[in-house]
Amino acid sequence: MKLTIFDIENWKEIGATLARNKTRTFMTGFGIFWGVAMLALLMGGATGGEDLLKRNFAGFATNSGGMVPNRTTMPYKGYQKGRGWQMDLTDVRLLRESFPELDAVIPTFQKWNSTFKQGKNSYSGQLIGAESNYTKMLVPKYYCGRFINDADVAGERRVAVIGKKVANQLFPGVEEPLGRMVDVNGAAYSVIGVAGDASEVHLNGSLDESIVIPATTFQRANGYGDKIDFLMMVAKDNANLSDLIPKMKSVVYRRHDINPDDDGAMWVINIAENFEQVDTLFSGIDILALFIGISTLLAGVIGIGNIMWVIVKERTQEIGIRRAIGAKPRDIIVQVLCEGAMLTVVSGLAGLSFAAVILGVMQHINNPPDAVLVANFQMSFMSAVGILITFIILGLLAGLIPSIKAMRIKPVEAINSK
Amino acid sequence: MIRLTDVNKTYQGVVPLHVLKGINLRIDKGELVSIMGASGSGKSTLLNILGILDNYDSGEYYLDGTLIKNLSENKAADYRNRMIGFVFQSFNLINYKDAMENVALPLFYQGVSRKKRNRLAMEQLERMGLAERAHHLPGEMSGGQKQRVAIARAMITNPSIILADEPTGALDSKTSHDVMEIFRKLNAEEGKTIVIVTHDPGVAEQTDRLIRISDGLIVPAAIPADGISKPQACVMPDGGIITPPEIV
Repeated sequence: MKLTIFDIENWKEIGATLARNKTRTFMTGFGIFWGVAMLALLMGGATGGEDLLKRNFAGFATNSGGMVPNRTTMPYKGYQKGRGWQMDLTDVRLLRESFPELDAVIPTFQKWNSTFKQGKNSYSGQLIGAESNYTKMLVPKYYCGRFINDADVAGERRVAVIGKKVANQLFPGVEEPLGRMVDVNGAAYSVIGVAGDASEVHLNGSLDESIVIPATTFQRANGYGDKIDFLMMVAKDNANLSDLIPKMKSVVYRRHDINPDDDGAMWVINIAENFEQVDTLFSGIDILALFIGISTLLAGVIGIGNIMWVIVKERTQEIGIRRAIGAKPRDIIVQVLCEGAMLTVVSGLAGLSFAAVILGVMQHINNPPDAVLVANFQMSFMSAVGILITFIILGLLAGLIPSIKAMRIKPVEAINSK
Repeated sequence: MIRLTDVNKTYQGVVPLHVLKGINLRIDKGELVSIMGASGSGKSTLLNILGILDNYDSGEYYLDGTLIKNLSENKAADYRNRMIGFVFQSFNLINYKDAMENVALPLFYQGVSRKKRNRLAMEQLERMGLAERAHHLPGEMSGGQKQRVAIARAMITNPSIILADEPTGALDSKTSHDVMEIFRKLNAEEGKTIVIVTHDPGVAEQTDRLIRISDGLIVPAAIPADGISKPQACVMPDGGIITPPEIV
């Protein structure tokens, strides 16, 4: 038995048949081409879109949140409503001790409308007082130098990490202003680093436009005592922040004599919850992409099956002639199946190539050279091969019914169908 | 070469149709015979059975010493390919293949290499005087040329018999004559066994023996006094044929 698949004669025969009706071959091929291209574009596009959105969160702890005190809105224990209050370092210590699920509790100090000066240059931005654990919440993008460390905090050092825009304004043309002095609200600080935002998301103003100094230095310089402006927290990966927040809130409320039901007394930011929504959105998009992809795939396959059916019908006489002069049923079935397979492979490859070019262009457009995180408008080679193999298998299956029909054609009937 | 013994064939349907009612027929090697019969006489069914295109219910059919009965599709295809050459009324060439490819096609199904089958096809076309038409498509050829291509295709596997179904039915009288000439030459020079099914008494006349079939049975031939086994036939104005009543 000769193996038809490896028989060049057979492929020449199939090529000749497909070339015979160019319009029909093209239309069928285009259906498959489009199906494969759409599926590949959807898969690659979904990955790229996800990356693009993730880029917004780059450097940002996602299982995190923040707490900002507000005026009370309910009277409690003899206090009138509308009382102002502040969190302090005792709250920070208490939360750290009570919640081992938290990776970091970050006290933060902030002063808007601060004035930064260097020589004749000045910049108006915000001053942030931070501990070294600030970076657990938000990983900055470093242009040079380093961030505040524990020694800076312990020693109340007069050091500053300056934002990228601040640096450009105060030290124009200076590549690395490390060790240079900068005037912050009238006091001199030594520059230890230049940093900026890693992503589009920031919690307390853009780092690009800020100067960060050690928390202790900030407290002393601004006469804060142990009060803090607000608090950020990062939960461990396996902890559910949404469960923790009410408990944390009640610890703080009890200490400050705030009505447990007073939701307005504290502004709570739950980034984890927002991020979950984004995650859900992406699961939705993935499912949608899969659904559309499978639908396209099915439509393409039904198209192949349909066209093979038409081909068989149209060629009843030819098949009859072939049978009369000695074609075995297997010869006919193989011929019809191989025609479908060849059409599928060629059109499918063209579809994949087309999708690859489009995705390549998308990748180029969406990735400027300074992008923090590369958005991959790509699909893996294996999934591309997977799509193609799926298509070939489904194409063969779709061609099976028409080819069995072709095989059953009696030479007599066929010859008489004039 | 061909021997049929009491061959019966019934088409099953709402009303079963007994088409062949016990055909006994013998055609020897090297004979050029014609089969005539009215529509519905069973003539086409007989041809299909002779061509292994159809099965029969009972009886025996020997082709070149081989019993042709209850063959698998594969076996039937193989026998058709090697033992029988078909020539049809409507030529039945594949319209997107040129003359040479059409002639070579039976060898494709024998697994003969392209080069060899094209060479053999060219030889056949030369014999038919169509060498210069080898790369023309059927649509670019006249009816006579197409039929000669079909004969070349029938001959390429060097079959035991040639079965021709109304080979001149679609041709004018001049071309018909040419095609019959070819059959006679193949019969005379190569001793090919040729069976021609026809309506045309003119065609039947050019064969050595006429077999009549009527109502599913072979009509015994009248043997005229001169001893030549050529029966006399009467052609009616409507084209029908009346067999003389003498029965031996």
